[in-house]
Amino acid sequence: MMKFIGALLFITTSSWIGFDLSKQLSRRTIQIRQLIQSIQLLETEMSYSQLTLQHTFQIISKKTDPPISLFYKKLAEDMEGIVTDFITVWDEAITYLQQSSDLKQRELEVLKQFGRNLGQHTFTEQQKHIVLTIHHLQHELKEANERRQQYEKMTKSLGVLIGILIVLLLI
Amino acid sequence: MFVDATILFQIAGIGIITALIHTVLKQVGKEDIAQFVSLVGFIIVLVIVIQHLADLFQQIKSVFLLQGF
Repeated sequence: MMKFIGALLFITTSSWIGFDLSKQLSRRTIQIRQLIQSIQLLETEMSYSQLTLQHTFQIISKKTDPPISLFYKKLAEDMEGIVTDFITVWDEAITYLQQSSDLKQRELEVLKQFGRNLGQHTFTEQQKHIVLTIHHLQHELKEANERRQQYEKMTKSLGVLIGILIVLLLI
Repeated sequence: MFVDATILFQIAGIGIITALIHTVLKQVGKEDIAQFVSLVGFIIVLVIVIQHLADLFQQIKSVFLLQGF
């Protein structure tokens, strides 16, 4: 009886890991899409309302879903008071985003570059940077989608199968 | 003579599961890993079987009085 319960636990765990990995793949595409939307929002906010960056981030954090909203929320919170070095604040927020989301290093690197240029230029130049960032992110989105289509089913079935295999070996 | 049948089912199970993993990996286009998994499955089964094979050879030896014990 105990053996049976152990086997069941083993299969459940490994299937769960497989399902989680495949979820991670689909979550990544969703999050990149949300990131692109949030940068588009940033652009419209910049051109029409012309608030400070902190307020803009607050507004965006209300309009997006977690974990992207948490990223903007953290940015807005960190920019409370006097900020001497925006780049460190931005980088810290990106590290936070890395921990709380499924985004990979490549998207984060694009975002990091975007932060270097934020608030350094006139609006038209800023707009160019935004277009460039969105273009890069769209490229990543396409790549992430391909990966997802390729590996989503595989990770699911492999999780279950490897669980059963280990149980068979341990019997 | 009663032989424990568990090992047969165990090996059959391992075979089926390895074949399934092989197919899944092949569908995704990872032929090299698929081959490797098959090989590992074979080695695992071999390790399980080898003790019994040794027993079998010992039996044959004793049956034909090659060693006397």
